[in-house]
Amino acid sequence: MGMISVVTGRFLQAFLLLIAMSLIGFIGIHSVGNPVFNIVNIETATPEDIRRATVALGLDQPIWRQYLVFLDNVVSGNFGTSYIYHLPAFELVIAKLPATLELASVAMLIAAPFGTGLGLIAGRRRGTLLDRTVLRASVSALSIPSFWLAMMLILVGAILTGWFPSGGRGSTASFLGQDWSFLTANGLWHLVLPASALAIPNIALIARLSRSGTIEVENLDHTRFCRAKGLSPRRILLRHTLPNISVPIVTIIGLQFGGMLAFAVVVESIFSWPGVGKLLIDSIQLLDRPVVMATLTFIAVAFVALNALVDLFHAVLDPRVRLSSQR
Amino acid sequence: MKLGNLIRAGVLCTLLMSIFLGIVSSTPAQAQGQAEDQAELRIATSYKLMTLDPHFANLNENTSLLSHIYERLVYQDEKLELKPGLATSWRPLSDTRWEFKLRENVRFHDGSEFTADDVGYTIERIRDVLKPPSGGFRSYVSGIKAISAPDPLTVVIQTNAPVPNLPLFFSSIFVMNRPSEGYQTTEDLNTGRSSIGTGPYRFESWSSGERLRLARNDSYWGDKSAWPTVSFRVVENPAARVAALSTGEVDVADAIPARDVASLKERGPRIANIGAARVNFVQFDVSRDTLPGVTDKSGKPIANPFKNPLVRRALAMATDRGVLVDKILAGYGTAAAQVFPNGLPGTSGNLTAGPPNYDEARSLLARAGFPDGFNLVLAGPAGRYPGDAESLQAIAQSWARIGVNAQPSAAPFSVFNSKRAAGEYAVWYGGTSGEAVDVILHALVASPDPERGTGALNFGKYQNAAFDAMLAKAEGIKEGPERNQALAEATELAMADQPIIPLYHFHHIVGFGPRIGSYVMHPRGWTTAMQTLPAGE
Repeated sequence: MGMISVVTGRFLQAFLLLIAMSLIGFIGIHSVGNPVFNIVNIETATPEDIRRATVALGLDQPIWRQYLVFLDNVVSGNFGTSYIYHLPAFELVIAKLPATLELASVAMLIAAPFGTGLGLIAGRRRGTLLDRTVLRASVSALSIPSFWLAMMLILVGAILTGWFPSGGRGSTASFLGQDWSFLTANGLWHLVLPASALAIPNIALIARLSRSGTIEVENLDHTRFCRAKGLSPRRILLRHTLPNISVPIVTIIGLQFGGMLAFAVVVESIFSWPGVGKLLIDSIQLLDRPVVMATLTFIAVAFVALNALVDLFHAVLDPRVRLSSQR
Repeated sequence: MKLGNLIRAGVLCTLLMSIFLGIVSSTPAQAQGQAEDQAELRIATSYKLMTLDPHFANLNENTSLLSHIYERLVYQDEKLELKPGLATSWRPLSDTRWEFKLRENVRFHDGSEFTADDVGYTIERIRDVLKPPSGGFRSYVSGIKAISAPDPLTVVIQTNAPVPNLPLFFSSIFVMNRPSEGYQTTEDLNTGRSSIGTGPYRFESWSSGERLRLARNDSYWGDKSAWPTVSFRVVENPAARVAALSTGEVDVADAIPARDVASLKERGPRIANIGAARVNFVQFDVSRDTLPGVTDKSGKPIANPFKNPLVRRALAMATDRGVLVDKILAGYGTAAAQVFPNGLPGTSGNLTAGPPNYDEARSLLARAGFPDGFNLVLAGPAGRYPGDAESLQAIAQSWARIGVNAQPSAAPFSVFNSKRAAGEYAVWYGGTSGEAVDVILHALVASPDPERGTGALNFGKYQNAAFDAMLAKAEGIKEGPERNQALAEATELAMADQPIIPLYHFHHIVGFGPRIGSYVMHPRGWTTAMQTLPAGE
């Protein structure tokens, strides 16, 4: 019973979120400017061309009617046709998804173990040189802007040393009907720099979080009892401390992963990585409303799903959550 | 002790970083780039190919890349003179009838022969079939009444009214292959299955806004390419294009920012550049009685000062184009006094951009009744043209020397256009390009007249009957020196009245690496594999 109400509550929340998001996105894009000037070549178009294009796209209608038409189409699963690419908007988003997904996943696969490990060790050896180094490095990694980090990675990794390519996806291999870079050596090679640019701030964030968690848990009674029982420090760290600090870490990993899916705009642009973030920012610049709306909807759904996943994980990780739901 | 700790911490930090990098860089370092086929030409372009429909939008973004696959009846060479393409010759039969003789033994990529019927199909598709918003080329063919083919290699085109520069119009239109039935839709073409032209390259694969792969057409009628395959990568970020060229990941990169040229040259790549067949200018609203943001020095609104040619002349005289060209464009620009760079057909040798003359500008302004100057808002797009937003600042500074306080106001291109269309601007920075001088004059300077289609870009609603008559007369003359002379004279007449202040013709800048011997620039700004010559030939 409780479970059902939680789930319906979740769905209701998600629905309201989507409605609010679509309204804000729709009105926001509308008030920026008129997309028709990006569709016709303003340098050669006649006023007649502009007028016809406006009518063809339905931009001559009042905004509320355009919104209703949009909602009507979305209900029947149609986000409209991109003004710029003349392809179905949702297909465009899906086509860009593999690039983003693999970039974000690789970045998180680097960031999560590295960050947690560094944080555990630093927290365990509080006050040592290693701890101070991790702390200082994480402050600088968090405070440098991502575009600068990306530029520096290109400068060092590509231009000065020539080790890595400066951008693009490299060669791809087909899997599940989509093109993936991580399946080819050349593609993996292209992944290194952008994934590092995304991973470094996350390593820092996760390391700080797990460090403070470790310090807190190390002082709790149960850790002392473990120590008194004679468990090895490593076993205490991995079997007792780690599960106890993992709830906030999983939460932040979920949030950051969602953020990377949607808003890795800077890294994707600088490395010309053709992902969802880049599509979103390009479409905003070109006022390509169908694509913007499709992307935003996808992002909102992804965030909701990730949050649900994180909650599920909490139940797995934290016996108290399981116990309370069984009661 | 403290310092020692800090140093040790630093060393450890670097160590950690290098371990991290070491772990992620487990594959051999030489793999990148070299793994790809050496014979492939790799180009990083700023032009994003948005659709595979060659008739969808008249934008360099599309036409630049699609010109590898599709061809035109007529081409424009680097001096913008017409030269044969799929048509070998053309002549007017009467005022309203043109005959085009087509090239023999031209085959489409699917093996079918190119005939007059395909030209008819192309015109019909643009004129009758494509629906807005895919109407970029309609204005070129809307005046065509009938198309007939006396024999398979001759096309006779009949127009409603005389169109003396019809051949020029065909230098913009890609010829498609007539399918067995009906007309190809944009959706069909975007699948990539039917991208069939006569061009030097065949379509291989694409991904919208990302990349395009082409393979050499071995049965091409003209000079065959030296590259078996060509891959275009769309890289919109200029710094990323420069980086890709510096590291040798691509052989050619276009639209190089002028400020990066020096450092790029140091790293090895060479540079080609040419003055663009386009102009950036300041345009005035000369029609409304009062204008937003235009006030006297005390802030009270005043009557539209730009109706007075003396004011426009004074502002033109007080514009320091040297700063724009030398400082903002770092030398990769040409000061403008007309719509195309001097020397191209239809330009006037008498119009040259001189240094600013503040004294005379001030006295002109006094004669016009503004001895103290006035305030205005100078609007413009940001990030659309090289040097756009910076130019607003520079122009405002030079106008301040004659007492005109200009407040620069830059906005993203689409916002700028929406606001300009809504009448929120009094004077603004703009840019335009076209196939020829008359096309630009027709749109930018001629009086707005929807019936005749003139003045489409004359947003300031400048009207000059004498100029309109001269332009109409020039447009009635057949392509050639006489027409060019008439256009030059019309330009001189209009520019004396200063409906716009031409600022500069920015340069197209292309960088190319060691595998390229030379790159032939085109003033229209296209980036194509055909313009490259491999090194060592």
